[in-house]
Amino acid sequence: MAYFMVVLLDDSRMAKLRGTGLEDNIKYMFGGELRLLEVEVSEELKDKILAEFETARVDSRGAITDVPVAFMRELFNQVVEKKSLGPEVVEGVLAKVDEIKEMAAKESEYLPPPDIETE
Amino acid sequence: MSGLLIERPLPHGGRLVERVVTDKKVARKMIQGCPTYEIKPTLHYETGVPVRNVYREIMSICYGFFSPVEGSMKQAEVERVLKERRLLNEWIFPYPLVFDISKDDLNKLGVTVGDRLCLTLKGKPFAILDIEEIYEIDPEELAYKTFGDPETNPEVVQQKFDKKHPGWVIYRSHQPYVLAGKYTIINEPKLKPPFDRFWFPPRKAREEFDKRGWRTVINHQTRNVPHVGHEFLMKCAAFTGDVEPCHGILVNAVIGVKRRGDYPDEAIVEGHEAVNKGGYIKPERHLVSIVLWDMRYGNPLESLLHGIIRQNMGCTHHMFGRDHAAVGEYYDKFATQILWTKGIPSFGFPAPPTEVPYGLKIRPQNMREFSYCPTCKEMAYSETCGHKREKLSGSFLRGMVAEGVQPPSIIMRPEVYKVVVKWWKKFGYPFCNEKYVINKEKELEVDLEDL
Ligand SMILES: [Zn+2]
Repeated sequence: MAYFMVVLLDDSRMAKLRGTGLEDNIKYMFGGELRLLEVEVSEELKDKILAEFETARVDSRGAITDVPVAFMRELFNQVVEKKSLGPEVVEGVLAKVDEIKEMAAKESEYLPPPDIETE
Repeated sequence: MSGLLIERPLPHGGRLVERVVTDKKVARKMIQGCPTYEIKPTLHYETGVPVRNVYREIMSICYGFFSPVEGSMKQAEVERVLKERRLLNEWIFPYPLVFDISKDDLNKLGVTVGDRLCLTLKGKPFAILDIEEIYEIDPEELAYKTFGDPETNPEVVQQKFDKKHPGWVIYRSHQPYVLAGKYTIINEPKLKPPFDRFWFPPRKAREEFDKRGWRTVINHQTRNVPHVGHEFLMKCAAFTGDVEPCHGILVNAVIGVKRRGDYPDEAIVEGHEAVNKGGYIKPERHLVSIVLWDMRYGNPLESLLHGIIRQNMGCTHHMFGRDHAAVGEYYDKFATQILWTKGIPSFGFPAPPTEVPYGLKIRPQNMREFSYCPTCKEMAYSETCGHKREKLSGSFLRGMVAEGVQPPSIIMRPEVYKVVVKWWKKFGYPFCNEKYVINKEKELEVDLEDL
């Protein structure tokens, strides 16, 4: 796998992931406290992401980072929907590129807060 | 008593400056017949965005955070500060602090030396300025001289300052006339929640330390929501001290003008409080407090101001990290460490600030950082074990927060995360967006009653 994107998993995402058969692919950091999945990205898709999103970059490990939050949210949705970590996940995200860009434009002023109890 | 015991230092300058009149009758008399002037935010000289509000300097001066400074500096004092980082009374001080106004405003006011000016804030009487001198400045020159340059200060300045540096912009955006003289607050502002419960001006802080039996206190400077790396810095730095570890850990958050992408001040103070509420550091050992100041990001110079503020508050020790209060690469990464261990002669410090005449008494504790070691299976100090680490980078964490993914508790405590989300819900954004930055400068951290 040349390029990849990291999907972070918290408890709420873990619940949505149940039954997708992807649980065995979970990787761990911080003593097992941080769970994540790595989604495969082909050379061609990597180029597409870089072309569509100017903030995006590739780090030394080959991870694609600094894309809009809306992209990252959709990336997780597509993982669940496609029950896969293959290139079709990013393809699914890029199929919604206009919608994501529209949301990304609003991201500098508004981001939906997570639905957790605060006080 | 053991001679090794460290005693709480006197305030910088020997005594606390306290210039707050609490008797309203007296205050009303003091401003009778005075011309008034409504304090205006300093606007970016190009973009017009607020970059500073002098009210924060007046608060910090009159409540003694900046002791022994008593007001807006005279020309000779500004020149001495820029040249030797000393006030006219010899005590060391890093930055010029002045009350600047435009030529138009000066003409409209028609004030002269010897006049008393009543400064209003949000339309209410706030403070007086007894004018001792009026002079003109060149804001651009002031901006350059305040921070130094690679030719004059080759020990630590790596790059010429420019408009990408927010502190340089603050001075560059000053108005060209200065009214110099002492400030006196004549109508005490009320800090708004949640800031009110973190308001410990130096006298109150010292009284609080007494109440808690804290002889030794180490300060943690912050302008961030704490992650576990910060928590470990505090926990472990507190092992410094004398014959026993420091009794108290003071978190002192700098509250002032924000930059987009910073965490909101409300989340910063309550986030630190959540560390003790959650029991990660016992509340009996940990106190969160604030100081009002628009950060100048002057790295070693800022660290000097931090030392002054926290010595005035009664701290015996101060943690300084790499890139302390820095932005960009204008200064050497270790400029603050260089100042506190060797001194910076070109800034007027042939020796560290604790070893020059009229210097400081607070003890620096230079710290690197903590990160997770999967081999030791613990949060480990960067200079201790030699294993490969999993770093707690701020941008990684911010990315995680922005995505709405709760960080694991080894990275950010759930109590702290809840605070972030609480204010996220209130502001519609986890970090400072444009709306927050502008509203904050409109509403400020205080309200004032009628006098
Ligand atoms: Zn280790």
